[in-house]
Amino acid sequence: MRNIFIWTVIAAILFALPNLLSFSQQEVLVFLTINILVVASYRLLTLTGEWSLGHVVIMGVGAYASAMLTKSSGLYVPLGIVMGGVVAGLTALALSYPLFRMKGFYFLIGSFAAGEIIRLLWKRFREPFGGTKGIKGIDPMPDFSVGFYDFDFFEPTSYFYFSAIVVAICLWILWRIEKSPIGLTFQAVHWQDKLAQASGVNLRAYRTLAFVIASGFAGIAGALLAHYIGTINPNSFDVEVMVFVLTWAIVGGTSTFYGPILGCVVLTILNEVVLRELGLEQTRPLIYGLILILSILFMPNGLESIVQKFTRQKERRSLRPEEAK
Amino acid sequence: MIAKALRGGFSRRMFLKSSAVTALGAALPNMTLAAGETIKIGFLAPLTGPVSAWGKPGLDGCTIWAERVNAEGGIKLEDGEHKIEFVAYDNEYDPAKARTGATKLIREDGVSFVMMLGGDTWPGVQPVADRTGMLFSTLLPSDLSPDTTTLVAPTEVHPIYIVTGVQWLAENRPELKTAVMCAQDDALGLPSVATYLAAFEAAGIEMQDDPLLFDPATTDFAPVVTRLLSSNPDIVCLDTCYSDYVHPICTQLFLQGFKGQIISATADFYDQMIAKTSKEFMEGFIFQFPDFDDPALNAEHINFPDANGFYTEYNKRYPGQWGAVSWEYASIMELWKLAAEKAGSVDPEAVLAAMQEGGKGQHAFGEASWWGEELFGIDHALVGDWPVVMIEDGKARIKAFVSIPDWYDQHGDLLIKYMTKYDQMWSQRS
Repeated sequence: MRNIFIWTVIAAILFALPNLLSFSQQEVLVFLTINILVVASYRLLTLTGEWSLGHVVIMGVGAYASAMLTKSSGLYVPLGIVMGGVVAGLTALALSYPLFRMKGFYFLIGSFAAGEIIRLLWKRFREPFGGTKGIKGIDPMPDFSVGFYDFDFFEPTSYFYFSAIVVAICLWILWRIEKSPIGLTFQAVHWQDKLAQASGVNLRAYRTLAFVIASGFAGIAGALLAHYIGTINPNSFDVEVMVFVLTWAIVGGTSTFYGPILGCVVLTILNEVVLRELGLEQTRPLIYGLILILSILFMPNGLESIVQKFTRQKERRSLRPEEAK
Repeated sequence: MIAKALRGGFSRRMFLKSSAVTALGAALPNMTLAAGETIKIGFLAPLTGPVSAWGKPGLDGCTIWAERVNAEGGIKLEDGEHKIEFVAYDNEYDPAKARTGATKLIREDGVSFVMMLGGDTWPGVQPVADRTGMLFSTLLPSDLSPDTTTLVAPTEVHPIYIVTGVQWLAENRPELKTAVMCAQDDALGLPSVATYLAAFEAAGIEMQDDPLLFDPATTDFAPVVTRLLSSNPDIVCLDTCYSDYVHPICTQLFLQGFKGQIISATADFYDQMIAKTSKEFMEGFIFQFPDFDDPALNAEHINFPDANGFYTEYNKRYPGQWGAVSWEYASIMELWKLAAEKAGSVDPEAVLAAMQEGGKGQHAFGEASWWGEELFGIDHALVGDWPVVMIEDGKARIKAFVSIPDWYDQHGDLLIKYMTKYDQMWSQRS
């Protein structure tokens, strides 16, 4: 009952949120929502102990797939978004064969190389990928009405509601996976790989599974992005964007489900809203970098450690009366 | 109309037009200014990141331009004079951020006109332009298409102006017979490659090899230059390379002993290139963007007021920062100011109509024509004369103003041939 109440309040806040923001902040909110899915899906991969530099490119695979399918074959956009996830997952499956012959640092470099190969293919083949200019005029999500609300997907508010629902469903699935025996096995693959192997766990199969699932959700995020801005190009998914995803994960912390999401939310608001509103338009990279260094120096366990500190204090306080008895 | 629509089917363009008209009333901000109210102009370009060299110097130039205009009373509209102010948004050359910026500038800041660098960022902004009917400008006319009815390219018709440098070279140095070219393989490099190929063919200069397209992530240019020089060319063409490429390529050309002619669309911060090579090596370097202290810019036909004074003030405030775009956005503003004063209003539709009245416009380098139907599908590019600039004794000097339309009248078929080959015609863009 308490959980239903909490989730109802969160849903009400999310419903009201865009109406409390300016137009440009609503736009930022849409991109933030999509980025939350990117960083949350990235965490699933990190559960197995592997860090990839190709996650954003895989997101791009979903974006390209959905854009091409809806543009060339007239596929209904929501189906295109799902297909974007499927194609990204299948691409990850194909990549997993060479990549999971490596581990750790070698996997990191291998994933970067694989991502660059995909990006070069997009650039090299103007047909069908559009070359360096990418794909323009991507079909937008078709407008519709649900009686009490008209969805006009040019408007950021409408697209936020749509993407928030999609992202919420994806996060719920990711959460369920993490808490399932599969998720626990991912953790075992990371922290007790020899023991897990001795217990009959196929390490490579589980690493591949995490990689494919994470990539599938990143593909959905890419497709959501493509159908909102209407254009994609290889530079939209380059290593610079990947550095942002890594930063969100590192600053937020990766030991909890909410850590990377927290990092993404705080750093996006800081970079796209606070620093711009303060008129520090051109010095943002400098200040952003400084804040990153300071947060790593003084919060090595990420922003999630602050939340954990408060929740632990609360737990202790609630235990004390029991101890007194 | 309905019968026509049914016959022709319901195209995307028709959808965009009809939805724009439907949404216009609701989405277009109120363009009526109160008496004496400051006119706001949007500046939506990269101010940070690798492409900022084509945004930030332009904003600095606009700041000086606005101070000069405001000192003279401002923009004179039907209801009196209005001061002018620029509102900037750093789009980081990212289409998603460009969309956010366009939304902010139009729907929150209430700007009357938005200037962009264009390129990768325009497709992100186009839906906002379609919905609001806002007038936008771009430096890259390859953004133009029949759908972009509120987008103009009024200053830099990149890359068409580069034909003037090749033509001047062929006329003044006829002994140069062979050329090689390199370019970054991106949206800026490819149309430029197509144009240079057309210009070299028109000038009777033989290309010794296919253009060498390098990845934009390239940092080591020694092998690129070695390959370029392997055929011992008379001319090395640097296409429209970013200054991050032009500088190391020139350094390599110097180190590898090249003694021939160099031609490039830009030579931003050429003083640094001279410092890295030598004054003798850079002597005769041809490019297309003058320093505005050039005496040739005091000529009667120049439509940039006090160009020399503008350059002096710019260098005083931003020493060493003068580049290709330092004057371009300000020049667009000069054109917009004339149009707004002619229309007596800042309403985008009225300003655009005034700007294009009679098919002519006052380009910075003289009277020019609104052109582009064949290449871009719409006559929204302002084309006239363009300067050919040469480095002489360590200083950029205008050697001549050459007519782009005259070249196109004679060799337009070549340009279309190469633009088609490189998939750069508007109908080929995906």
